[in-house]
Amino acid sequence: MKIAKIYKAALMSGILLLASCAHEEQPKESWLDFSVPNKTELDKWIGVNFLDPYNINVYYIWNQNLVDNNRYLYPPKGDKVQPAMEVVKKIWIDSYSTIGGADFVKKIAPREFVLVGGINLNTNGTVTLGLAEAGQKVTLFQVDNLNKKNRANVTQFIHTIQHEYVHILNQTKPFDEQAWAKLTPTGYTTSWYTAAIATSRNLGFITSYARLSIYEDFAETAATILTSSKAEYDAILASVTDATAKANIKAKEALVVKYYRDAFNIDFYALRDEAQKNTDFVINN
Amino acid sequence: MKVKKIYKYLMISFGALLLGSCTSTEVDAKFDENATDRLSGRKKELNDLLLSSADGWKAVYYTDSTQLGGWTHLFKFLPQGQVDMASDFTIGTDTDTGIYRSQYEMQMGSTVSLVFTTQNRIHLLSDAGNSPTAALLAKGYLGDFQFYYYGEKNGEIIFRTNRNGHFLRFVKATAQDWTDLAKNKPMITSLNGDMFSPLFRLMETNDGTATHQFEFDYNTKARFGTAYSLEPGSQEAYDLAFAFTPTGIVSKLPVTVKGQELTDFIYDSATNNFVAKGTNGVSATLKFTNAPPAVTDDYKLFLSGKGNPQIVVGYIAANLTTAPTTSDYFRYLVNRLNANLSAGQSLSRIQMYFNTAANQTYINYQFVGKTAVNHIVTSSEDPVNKTIILTNLGWATGTTAADVALLREIDNELTNSKGLYIKKESFRITYSNPIYTLASASSSFRMTAYQL
Repeated sequence: MKIAKIYKAALMSGILLLASCAHEEQPKESWLDFSVPNKTELDKWIGVNFLDPYNINVYYIWNQNLVDNNRYLYPPKGDKVQPAMEVVKKIWIDSYSTIGGADFVKKIAPREFVLVGGINLNTNGTVTLGLAEAGQKVTLFQVDNLNKKNRANVTQFIHTIQHEYVHILNQTKPFDEQAWAKLTPTGYTTSWYTAAIATSRNLGFITSYARLSIYEDFAETAATILTSSKAEYDAILASVTDATAKANIKAKEALVVKYYRDAFNIDFYALRDEAQKNTDFVINN
Repeated sequence: MKVKKIYKYLMISFGALLLGSCTSTEVDAKFDENATDRLSGRKKELNDLLLSSADGWKAVYYTDSTQLGGWTHLFKFLPQGQVDMASDFTIGTDTDTGIYRSQYEMQMGSTVSLVFTTQNRIHLLSDAGNSPTAALLAKGYLGDFQFYYYGEKNGEIIFRTNRNGHFLRFVKATAQDWTDLAKNKPMITSLNGDMFSPLFRLMETNDGTATHQFEFDYNTKARFGTAYSLEPGSQEAYDLAFAFTPTGIVSKLPVTVKGQELTDFIYDSATNNFVAKGTNGVSATLKFTNAPPAVTDDYKLFLSGKGNPQIVVGYIAANLTTAPTTSDYFRYLVNRLNANLSAGQSLSRIQMYFNTAANQTYINYQFVGKTAVNHIVTSSEDPVNKTIILTNLGWATGTTAADVALLREIDNELTNSKGLYIKKESFRITYSNPIYTLASASSSFRMTAYQL
């Protein structure tokens, strides 16, 4: 036998040997715990009203991965969760569904609501009312403090959702950023919280927070109009003494209205009226 | 290179490959089970442990004993993820030791942790909106409610807290612990005091032969205080981090007297003091006192017959009601006085004139919507206690009996027989005028005044 043949035979038996050494354990059933946790009445209510129709989950049970672990926050009171989410459903979801179509919120919505009982205080003394992350998750703070009978309180709470939802809409379809940036280019500042609201309005911003960036400006402008009645909004405009500032706020309002019409075919003023009607309903029932 | 050689090299490397391939890569198992099994095992172990104690568990939670005290919590874990909880946390002056039910979970991450997932008493320590000191703004009481399971030792469950990594021990609670929790309340109240309690706190240590005094600066919300030696030149100071018991206070940080570490301060109802006793006459006592720890000679400027020029100090309601040195008891008396006035009337100033050109000393009460009232007094000193004593000489002409009755409570404090401590403060309020405080030597009355 030629040496090459010997080698060949050795090679073949070697390959067999190699294969014989390989033995793999086949995967068995999962090690992970997939048992379904006990569902409370509240969990069922969330299932029927948010998860099933809108594919939106509501987290009121604490999970540190859903919040900023460096903040001193805590879960909401159990009996505050359903009232808070009823407000969200009525004023936010129902208003958009009526004006934008029944499927509007089903298509564009945050997929998770995270509820926090206490205040999210920043070390500079400002308060973060809500957060929207990547259009997926909206965190609402101070759920414990919500009083459904108090209009100012409900308005502040719903302002947070309206504001964050505007961000989500913007992330789906951008607004005319160039046109917006030309209106009040010098008024933006990171120390917005030191300014009184009247000062900010006389610079052409609807709120002081609007001065953080054009994106916050857009969201604040839209959310403020949505959470105010026509008379209340007119009163805000009337309080602005600087003519240029007033014109700029009106120009921003026009851009918001145009954005809702062009991007989503929504009559913004009809949406505002619907939200106001639903706010009245919440407070009076 | 010849083919033969190539083959040779190939075969050598192939042989090496073969040898290597059959090497067992299995490492000696450090654990009998895989990681998932171990975690699930730990989870079950912890849950069984938590459920095993008939009367639940007790934890005195010191969130950070360098600046905060401890809060006693009781937990009774129930099946289906429920837990009954009570704590001696104080909100305002209310210590609610009631039992509340909420949910808990074992969450798996890098290790198993116990999480109180819905709101209950323990979350009060983690409220950004309620901080006991300015330094802890937005950080609440630095509390956690997620605890990483560290193990069990001597019947205690040892956890590490989520954010700060502090050890927290759960010890088995007894039925007595649950009934005793409410008994912490009178201890908390006694140490915190109320508006009638003397204004100053002292710590007095006894080393068996001599006593030493410390000014005790205590933050009731933080349950933390520092005792500074009052002896000239001494730098001795102790931090004390308190948790309450039915009989007194336990400090996590000891007071060292003659080498003895004192931590358990027992309440003495006769004196309203908290006393920690060691052996051989060694002790440390926490007490309230009307006398300021450091008394000044500032009162001497106000005495008559010593050649002092005129000096006028005035409490101005609009600016000084909320001054930190204005005592609650003073405010209480002013509110009572105002309540007795007609609508639209109120006390606006209390101006005190000492050694006027006419050689008079008098108290001038001014009102909104009402004529001023003057009370003429004489001044004398208590050189030992360093107070100025104002004695009634008579009310100015035109003063009615109703005026005297109206002003009696406040006037009695200013003219009390033990006198007033007077201190020129180093801070200013609104205006550049120097601030003086006038405190009664026999009560918690302290007025803040501008030098006018």
